[in-house]
Amino acid sequence: MAVTVNVTSVIEKLVGGQRSFESVGDSVKSLIENINEAYPGFSDQILEEDGELRRFVNIYLNDEDIRYLDGLNTELTDDDTVSILPALAGGE
Amino acid sequence: MAHIPDEILQAMVDHAKDDLPNEACGMILIGRSDRQMTVHRVTNTAASPYRYEMSPLEMMKLEQKRDSENLDLFAIYHSHVASAAYPSPTDVRMAFFPPGETDNEPMFPETYYVLVSLENNKPDVRAFHIKKYGEISEESIESEN
Repeated sequence: MAVTVNVTSVIEKLVGGQRSFESVGDSVKSLIENINEAYPGFSDQILEEDGELRRFVNIYLNDEDIRYLDGLNTELTDDDTVSILPALAGGE
Repeated sequence: MAHIPDEILQAMVDHAKDDLPNEACGMILIGRSDRQMTVHRVTNTAASPYRYEMSPLEMMKLEQKRDSENLDLFAIYHSHVASAAYPSPTDVRMAFFPPGETDNEPMFPETYYVLVSLENNKPDVRAFHIKKYGEISEESIESEN
């Protein structure tokens, strides 16, 4: 499936300085694997060693958080938009 | 020194009060040519008095707005409802990607981190840069009418 991937300025450094690009994948997991083939080291920043999505990384399929869909197994279809965004957080 | 107009300072204090008992968070954008500042409230998805997490989708939309309207990210602000206007260890940790990797460059090295404290009757607003190795550098605020 061909999808559009949007990232923010913090993540763009991991993908050759692009804010938006095309990639492929049948699921979010396979999309991350494909991005990692093009940009080695990408998945290390996005996934835990056990393969789970890091707590401070948010992935949206269109406007839905994949944690509320099927996580990394969320299926993708042509023309989907996937946004990969770091958390901006803190607190006392 | 951070030059911040009075109405921008007041808008952040108003936001902090409006979102009580929880922490409030948002961004100040500035025009690259006219230097006009605007305050953008962002939803705190943590909805907590002790933590904030900016809505990632709202953040992305503000970033797209920055690109399309020739704006810079001047400041990231949040409130502390019962502690001082000073970056907490969590604030510092989360200024890096991945969090706590203070050997990396911070996510927003040029951007002020503005803290609004409602700990006392009189709100306190202070500005900082968070630098590599987690160094906190306070920048005095010069308010302008």
